[in-house]
Amino acid sequence: MSGPYRLGVDVGGTHTDLVLLNVADGSIEIEKVSSTPANPALGVLEGLNRFIAQGKEPATIEFFAHGTTITTNALLEGRGANVGMIITKGYRAIQEIQQQARDGNPFDYFFQRPPHLAPQSLTFEASGRFDYEGNELEPLDEDAVRLAAKALKDKGVASIAVVYLFSYMNSAHEQRTRDIIVEEWPDAHVSLSSDVLPRIREWPRMSTTLLNAYLEPVLVNYIGDLSDGLDEGGVETQQRFLMQSNGGVMPFKAAIAGAKTVHTLFSGPAAGAQAAAYLAAEDAKKGLVTLDMGGTSCDIAFIEGGTPLEVTEGEVARRRLDVPALDLTTISAGGGSIAWVDGGGLLAVGPQSAGADPGPACYGKDGENPTVTDADIACGFLNPHYFLGGVQSLDVDASLKALEKKVGKPLGMTALEAAAGIRRIVDMRMADEVRVFGAKRGVDPQEFTLLPFGGAGAVHAAPVAEELAMARILVPPRPGAFSALGLLCTDVVHDYIRSELRPLEQVPPDHAEEIFRELEDRGRTELKSEGMNPAAAVFAREFDMRYTGQGYELRVSLEGIGSAEGLDDTALSEARGRFDGIHARIHGHAAKEKPVEIVSYRVRVRVAVQKYEPAVEANFLETPSPAEARKGTRDVWFTSNASTETAIWDRSSLPAGSVLLGPAIVEQFDSTIVVPAGWAAHVDGYMNLILTREV
Amino acid sequence: MKLDPVTIQILKNKVASLVDEMHYHFYRSGYSTIIRESRDFSCVILDRGGRLIVPPPMFFHAPFYKHFVDRTVELYGEDGLKDGDVVVSNHPYEAGVPHVSDMAFIAPIFADGKLIGFSGSCAHKADIGGMNPGSTSANSTEIFHEGLVLPPVKISAEGIYDKDLERLILTNSRQPELVRGDVRAQIAATEMGVTRMQDHCESFGIDTVIDAFEAILKSAADEMQAAISALPDGKTSADGYMDDDGVEMDKGVYFSVTIIKKGDDITFDFSKSQAQAKGPINLRPSMVEACVFYSLIGCLGHDMQFNDGMRDVVKFVYAPRTITNAESPAPVSSYQKANLRLTDVILEALATFNPARAIAGSGSSGSLSINWHEGGKPGHNSLQYEILGSAYGGGNGNDGCNATATHLSNLHVTPVEIIESEYPCRITEFDMVPDSGGAGEYRGGVAFRRRYEVLQDCTVVRRYDRYKYPPPGSEGGQAGGASKFVIKAGTPDEKLTPAAGKFDLDTGDVFYLESAGGGGYGDPAARDPCRLQHDIDQGYVTAEAAKEIYGG
Repeated sequence: MSGPYRLGVDVGGTHTDLVLLNVADGSIEIEKVSSTPANPALGVLEGLNRFIAQGKEPATIEFFAHGTTITTNALLEGRGANVGMIITKGYRAIQEIQQQARDGNPFDYFFQRPPHLAPQSLTFEASGRFDYEGNELEPLDEDAVRLAAKALKDKGVASIAVVYLFSYMNSAHEQRTRDIIVEEWPDAHVSLSSDVLPRIREWPRMSTTLLNAYLEPVLVNYIGDLSDGLDEGGVETQQRFLMQSNGGVMPFKAAIAGAKTVHTLFSGPAAGAQAAAYLAAEDAKKGLVTLDMGGTSCDIAFIEGGTPLEVTEGEVARRRLDVPALDLTTISAGGGSIAWVDGGGLLAVGPQSAGADPGPACYGKDGENPTVTDADIACGFLNPHYFLGGVQSLDVDASLKALEKKVGKPLGMTALEAAAGIRRIVDMRMADEVRVFGAKRGVDPQEFTLLPFGGAGAVHAAPVAEELAMARILVPPRPGAFSALGLLCTDVVHDYIRSELRPLEQVPPDHAEEIFRELEDRGRTELKSEGMNPAAAVFAREFDMRYTGQGYELRVSLEGIGSAEGLDDTALSEARGRFDGIHARIHGHAAKEKPVEIVSYRVRVRVAVQKYEPAVEANFLETPSPAEARKGTRDVWFTSNASTETAIWDRSSLPAGSVLLGPAIVEQFDSTIVVPAGWAAHVDGYMNLILTREV
Repeated sequence: MKLDPVTIQILKNKVASLVDEMHYHFYRSGYSTIIRESRDFSCVILDRGGRLIVPPPMFFHAPFYKHFVDRTVELYGEDGLKDGDVVVSNHPYEAGVPHVSDMAFIAPIFADGKLIGFSGSCAHKADIGGMNPGSTSANSTEIFHEGLVLPPVKISAEGIYDKDLERLILTNSRQPELVRGDVRAQIAATEMGVTRMQDHCESFGIDTVIDAFEAILKSAADEMQAAISALPDGKTSADGYMDDDGVEMDKGVYFSVTIIKKGDDITFDFSKSQAQAKGPINLRPSMVEACVFYSLIGCLGHDMQFNDGMRDVVKFVYAPRTITNAESPAPVSSYQKANLRLTDVILEALATFNPARAIAGSGSSGSLSINWHEGGKPGHNSLQYEILGSAYGGGNGNDGCNATATHLSNLHVTPVEIIESEYPCRITEFDMVPDSGGAGEYRGGVAFRRRYEVLQDCTVVRRYDRYKYPPPGSEGGQAGGASKFVIKAGTPDEKLTPAAGKFDLDTGDVFYLESAGGGGYGDPAARDPCRLQHDIDQGYVTAEAAKEIYGG
């Protein structure tokens, strides 16, 4: 059948993955092309052209969703715009002192902060001040703003951040500043802190606004290029979307309109978590931990009650960024993480990575350092002749040599003991990270399902699960293209926030209602300008609340609270009750007698987008015979003192309903699945491989 | 039994992630400003001997825990400690805690009836009595002025919480609600450490955990020993002054260290430091140890491990009743500025052994507390407490960092928008102080100015340093800008006060503070002209100063 099609494209560091969904029959095709970091749009278009070359009509693509790390990479590589800033007069120390506390190694007294995104020489001041309630104490010095705009234009900046104190309570001065800048300089990119993050605490707001200013020109140019390329390639649909950190997508138009660039900085790993929440919906309700183990790192996310956990504060490349993002933690435990003997004579793994070049020792590109992949291959978990489906052949001897030289000898171990030790350290670290991550969020993963993806996830999933006392692992059909598939599983989501710090008892319900309605109106206006239908929008309201005197807020959903007329006293006291409950869950205690404050108001706007529906395998056999899928056996060292002859299976030949008992290894084009003794694996109706064990 | 390096590493990671988890729970649930915005606390896991296994982020708390455990065991005997006990103390002399405001808890960890270690925590309390609201003091003359002093006593005995003791503590506090919240959160975090370590004993075996602790400590000791042995032999002294002790205002406070390195041995001799002071800036060995361990790691290799294994390779010499080895009841409330001054002195001496890591004097850290007489804003606390940093000195090859927490101090600044929302004051200026970074080939960090307008009558306590003795330069570099504390600013009564003191202010008064800038390193004339121009462009150095001082 010839479509219509929906296309998901995930641009990663080395590869660009494309997933083409045939809407008519639900079938999926996958392409993998090399990424083109200098202009990532080229890789995307090349992948598209491959589909076109196979006879797909570009005009039959009715939906295009895109995940990219272009802003993240631009930040890491320092390729953002020249940024100028206008601040409230007399507050230059905010950007210098930041949080005051130092990040990184506390013993390094040669500490430096990362270079300012807007140096003081490109930071201008304007008088004008509001108090904490938004009352004007001093009018805006418009002449100063005008002079600053002219000067910044002359100095060649491309983007201007405007950050005034208390602008989250009253944005009039920032709005007026933008008008003046645009009068002087119509093409300027202007990022207002009251647009980007109208949230209390000046440094995180300034930092987030600076990042937006720094990266907005990069994103706008990129989206422009990509859009032109899609047009030229014959793609007609204007249903073009970009992945965000919050797990939703935004239309290209929203990305170009500004103030939303910062919402893309954590979007890389978000698509995978979103895919897990959607494609493993039943398991997601009970709870999922995703383990995305790639070359340099491992991203971990939690999905509870069907939804990925979220955070509202984060950091990237040592820069503070406070926007809603899926709650992910990243540790340096990837296939390329290097094993070494640390200063204290202990075996350590990471954070250095061998990357793609020279890569692990087994790549045979003169990599001398043993990596996690070397440990995996030395122990027999990976097939040296079937890595990436046999595209690349691996050198086991090189792995053993590196393990022997860099770890075994210094520590008095054999190469195999070193390999087993490396695996154990990495697996334990992932497990520790999952446990602490969960504990910090009041979640116990023991009853959860572990969902590994990325090339190495399923190689390590079982020992991680064992350490966490988890009994169930779900390996999706295409672990390598899971993130790209996630792009076809999302809604359009916009987040809005406004701070107003006040004791709850001093907040009249109609005042809270008014703030929410303002935020919702803003959502509708933006949706309209993006070509979306505001009538289709679903709104979710939240408070950020805390006990009086606490420094950190918890998000409290108002779902099901309040009537059609809006919030009333009962609704506010219900919200307070919810807050006590959430506090008790996360921190082990609640203080029901203590007064509570509202710090911020949040609205999430969601417009549903048609999604990929995985089909149930029709020829599900009651007693399938997987014998044909058996490729043979291999000696695998599950422990360092003895090897086990282990059956090797080809995943693509395993029919639905197949059951395998560990020890077993299942190989597929883009991943390897290790099923240790004590585990059973079966193929479910969606072609997921489910690993279970008795606990 | 000799453990393999894999298991040791795994247990070390487990203790580190446990400590991380304890911290997280505590700071998320602590009530007081100091916990939530400044994070002035630590959580730890210790071995049977009270030795720290992995450092908390606030690592200078680390060395006192051993003193606390030693004294507790001395009081109760090892047999007197039971599963479910929690011992509290805020006693600077008995438990070695930094000052009376820091309340510490330790809980023995038992597995199969065997003591395998301790879980501990220490956190600053909003108020624990004493002569000032907020308890901290710039001019107390005995620890008894600084608040209720608790020797190590059980607040929980075999799981039974002593509510009477809690009541006693809270009755002695001006902020009982805050203290109650923090105490309970702190005990919960401490007990969590016990439970988790018991789990680890179960899965790894008790002996494995004990052996791993031993090996982790030894690994740090070996690492430090190797770094020390590699230094050239020699003997160096350094010294310096603090402005005053807060009581005897016309007298500087003298610190001295002599470092003797011979072969594998290194000795830090503080016996020439002055007699213990009348004012609250006295140090106990626990704090001096913190300064020395910090300086050694910072100077010799900042990626080295920090734990109590280091004790085995460093010797300390003190004279009795001196500022670095004070005896009760000498006051200690403002110990941190003494720590920071002493650290400068130690680093100056250490630089002789490793000039590549030489650094000029840095700018200390200080608190500002405001007690609002009319109770502050309705629904909010009446006590405002902030910790403000300064700037680093320039170093060999490195400009000092501007406006930051320095050395042992690493606390967060409270945002202007939080302060104005919660307290009846306005911060009308938060700006840089040009030319405050000491001139040098490598410039000292630039200081900041923060100006407050008070909207209610209040009492302000400032505890700081460096107005008489600004951070010294090094190798020809100039001193950093001196600190300032100015009250009644903009009126005929405007007054530059000493850097530490207590002041009553009226509604509408304005005061401001300037932190000290870092000292410069090396001859200013040798500064790279591009860097100098950059400084001028950024407003860190004025064109006039560039001409006069740098000759640029």
